[in-house]
Amino acid sequence: MQLAVNIVVLASIYALISCGYVLIYRVSRVLSLAHGELMMLGAYGLYATASLFSGHPLLAIGVSAALALAVGGLVYALLMRRMTGEAVLAAVLATIALGIFLRGAMALVWSAQEQHPLELLGLSNPAVAVGPTARISLVALTLVVVTAAVYVGLFAFLRYTVWGIRMRAAGQNPLLAAQRGIGLHGIYALAWGLATFTGGLAGMLIACDSALDQTMLIIGLKAFPAALVGGLDSLAGAILGALIVAAAEVLLINYVDPLLSDVVPFFVLLAMLVVRPWGLFGTKEELDRV
Amino acid sequence: MIRTTKMMLVAAAMALPAAPAAAQDAYVVGLSGALTGPNANVYAPVIDGLKLYADQVNGRGGVNGKPIRLLIQDNQGEPSKAAADVKRFLSQDNVLAVINVSLSSTYAPMVVETRRARVPLFYAGAVCPKEVYPPADELQFCSTAFAPGFDSQMAFRIIRELAKEPVRIGFAAMAIPIARAEMDYAEGLAKSLGMTPVEKQITPPPTPDYTPFATKLKDANPNWVFSWSPWLSQVKTFEALRRIGWAGRYLTIAHLQAEDELARLKDGELYVFGANSLFQDALPVHREIRDAAQKAGLNTPVPQLAEGWIAGMVLEQALRNAGWPATPEKLVASMNNLKVDLKGLRGGPIEWTKTNHFRGTQSYRVYRWDPAKQAIVRVKDWTSFEVK
Repeated sequence: MQLAVNIVVLASIYALISCGYVLIYRVSRVLSLAHGELMMLGAYGLYATASLFSGHPLLAIGVSAALALAVGGLVYALLMRRMTGEAVLAAVLATIALGIFLRGAMALVWSAQEQHPLELLGLSNPAVAVGPTARISLVALTLVVVTAAVYVGLFAFLRYTVWGIRMRAAGQNPLLAAQRGIGLHGIYALAWGLATFTGGLAGMLIACDSALDQTMLIIGLKAFPAALVGGLDSLAGAILGALIVAAAEVLLINYVDPLLSDVVPFFVLLAMLVVRPWGLFGTKEELDRV
Repeated sequence: MIRTTKMMLVAAAMALPAAPAAAQDAYVVGLSGALTGPNANVYAPVIDGLKLYADQVNGRGGVNGKPIRLLIQDNQGEPSKAAADVKRFLSQDNVLAVINVSLSSTYAPMVVETRRARVPLFYAGAVCPKEVYPPADELQFCSTAFAPGFDSQMAFRIIRELAKEPVRIGFAAMAIPIARAEMDYAEGLAKSLGMTPVEKQITPPPTPDYTPFATKLKDANPNWVFSWSPWLSQVKTFEALRRIGWAGRYLTIAHLQAEDELARLKDGELYVFGANSLFQDALPVHREIRDAAQKAGLNTPVPQLAEGWIAGMVLEQALRNAGWPATPEKLVASMNNLKVDLKGLRGGPIEWTKTNHFRGTQSYRVYRWDPAKQAIVRVKDWTSFEVK
């Protein structure tokens, strides 16, 4: 039972992070390699608001979530918008540069010390029993619920709202979408905002469950195989990819060798790239070269 | 904002090429450390403490009337960057010594380069390599508190004294070579002492959730777990174990963060042992460090400055004995005959001889959180091991 709980928690972490990769790629075909850093920035945002609004955890969480959304929009407005019309590679390189900049800036502003935002919020993280033999921390349980809510929300948003339908249209055929009067810049900014918001949520929850430190950005990178395995432009694929990677990781830790947990996401990814390069639910696109 | 701007200016100044030191008017020492990067939380406070101490010395007029000029480079824990740093120190800056405050993976390139230039390499806050133990390598020296081999020996002495029941011991470490080697050594030691090793969990850094690793450890049903790794790995495994209901005793090495973390976790069965006294011991030297940090406006938690402060004391004494003008040869000679009174920061002095570049005795104290007193308490006073 504990194994199943561990798989669900790890899959939720990967799913919540990887939906940011998917949102941006699906709409703009840009792979954001600054997602780990943006996730960490979201966590530092919570740390900052928790310090600022000491004793008001809901306010601190709300403001930090809004900040994460705004930061994503700003990244698009100030940087990625300039990449419109340029080769996709240039945009990807811009995200790498952004990641390096954010990494340095965060180290300068908040130092390398690990932080515990949950304490600043005045909240605790007790363990909750799941059945007779398994336990989960309250924050990890929250993370599972938040991940489910985010995905349900995104599915509903993309299917039933005007902006969601516009976002899907822009992702499928940007030229036609623009000709139909859809403002692409607004759609792209929204996609970046939502991606940073969900990544930020992941960062905040991981920081509350364990700690906020410099290794978080590597965790962001570890979720990348889950997105690729599921298909970079499929939200449903991201969930399945996260489950596959998490299950492989947890089962190998338990039954084979813990050290394999570091390589197994990338092994699963390689296997998928060989068999089905566009992922489980991804769109088979025309490939110029491999 | 002002602090941030100041930090940016300091970073920019550090990035600028240092002035050639052909005509030295100061004791020039190069420091390559992990100021940023995934493990910066372990090393950056040591650099802060060392720099703080050097600033104090310079404020008092320096050593033998000359200031200490620390050239600090950020290697981010990467061997290639450490190699580039040490080459620059030796070829451009003519440093008297090189200090390493970084991961053990950065040691090899620094050893090669300093050996070629016949310049001493001083590990300060970076784990002591076995080359500093007797018979020591002629150019490698170490003042760091924790030390492979001795730490495990102390751990088992603590467990033997505290355990009332047969010991079923689990091990937890980060997947870095030196920690894995120490766990292998500890496992052998446990067997030789009649304890039962039940599980060894090696966790790759970083991992988003330590629970799967902790689950396997818990399933082996240990009543003790010993961990020897960077602090975050140690404590995250411990917290994951507690979350899934493990109620045993956990023993770790007391890194820089230990004092603050004991107070945060408030767990009566978490034992830490280390060679540095904690600030709760309230010695005059602790007050001195606290005052200096406050005066300098340092943001680093004060208990984390002790390791760097100790390195500073050692460096000052070594430079003083080397006289002026100093050369790397004179400095090595001085370091080969060094005794530094650490004013209670450790259980004894740092004492280096020609064959021992570690210390004559390694002493440890054990602490834990006492839930009844709601305070950190000393479980065991200084216990010493002779270093032969």
